[in-house]
Amino acid sequence: MWKRTARGRELHFYLAGINNQNFLMRDRETGSWWQQVTGRAIAGELAGSALELMPNDELTFALWKSESPHALVLAPVAGHEKDYDKEWEKEVAKYPVPMTFPGQGLKDRDVILGVEIGGQARAFSLAKVRGESPVEDQIAGVPVALVNGPDGESVRVFRSQWNGLDIELYRDAQSPEWRLLDSQGNAWNFAGCAISGPAVGQCLEKINFLKDYWFDWKNYNPRTTVYSH
Amino acid sequence: MANRSENRGFENRGLWLLLGLLAALSLSMFLIPAFVIRPFRHQSENALALAIAVKRIAPALSVAAVVGVLALGLRLWRSSSKLSRAGIALALVLSTASAVMVRQNYFEWMFHPIAAAGFVSASDARLSDKEMVMAVRIGPEARAYPIVQMAYHHILNDTVAGVPIVVTY
Repeated sequence: MWKRTARGRELHFYLAGINNQNFLMRDRETGSWWQQVTGRAIAGELAGSALELMPNDELTFALWKSESPHALVLAPVAGHEKDYDKEWEKEVAKYPVPMTFPGQGLKDRDVILGVEIGGQARAFSLAKVRGESPVEDQIAGVPVALVNGPDGESVRVFRSQWNGLDIELYRDAQSPEWRLLDSQGNAWNFAGCAISGPAVGQCLEKINFLKDYWFDWKNYNPRTTVYSH
Repeated sequence: MANRSENRGFENRGLWLLLGLLAALSLSMFLIPAFVIRPFRHQSENALALAIAVKRIAPALSVAAVVGVLALGLRLWRSSSKLSRAGIALALVLSTASAVMVRQNYFEWMFHPIAAAGFVSASDARLSDKEMVMAVRIGPEARAYPIVQMAYHHILNDTVAGVPIVVTY
């Protein structure tokens, strides 16, 4: 998801092609070519420009609705209900990959969470994050926590730092309500906000990440490392 | 006399060659990008750059090629046999078809764009609890885009809390 402005100009995008299974789009205003996954213009008048990332979440509908009960949802486009294939992930999994990156312990179509901080990219296996949540790590000196939500599906990444201190987060197995605890006596919900403790009312900084196939992430982040604790 | 008709023959051969080249040029304007940008294939950086460069000049160049094929075809028509005339017609049909195709976005034939997005409130949305959505929050305004819909349309130009955004999947 991107802000669709570049060089002070509002742009409107349309689908224009595919590059190694990652789509290309063009803007109606200049006809420039953009790579969807990087938000960068690769050809045309705006070549070299980059769109600004619009932070967003991938959540289950139930979890999103509990956080935003009065918000709007994109409606199905009339006439296309049959085109919406609930099994699309299984279909895509059968496609051949356009390139392969063995040697870092991941299979080409493994789903990873890619985090990039200060020019350093790291891939976390989604299965691992689901199994070991919260996964704590440091990227370019920044402490991060990858957290699997109460629905078992939604994932968020936080900067595990509060009040200038690195904090260690762990699941509260005793509480019936889903929450994370830290060493400072705080309890945090999945929105990353403290629900009790000295930090109550404050929220952790969210870190952007990309849920992607390993081969695609590695293609655009050739120097990525892989989390392997 | 003999010399003149020989010259005419040479000249015609040149014109035939030019006609063939123009038809091939028009066809390649469509076929090169279509071949490079095939869905399951690996695109190298150079091949993609070539495909995009061709696509950028294709609208103008393919029309110029059709005009050239037409002019040469008219010039050669009288002195041509039936077979040669069929060749002229074929060159004209192919180059015209190519000039039409380079103006089509067949990716949008496969994945229809959202012309006018409609929205429903969270309580009215008919989605199952487990269905994944892309969610954005800008200031006080939040919005969700079901992934199963975005995985088909791929792109949505939207404006949330006055901020123009493009949702991509």
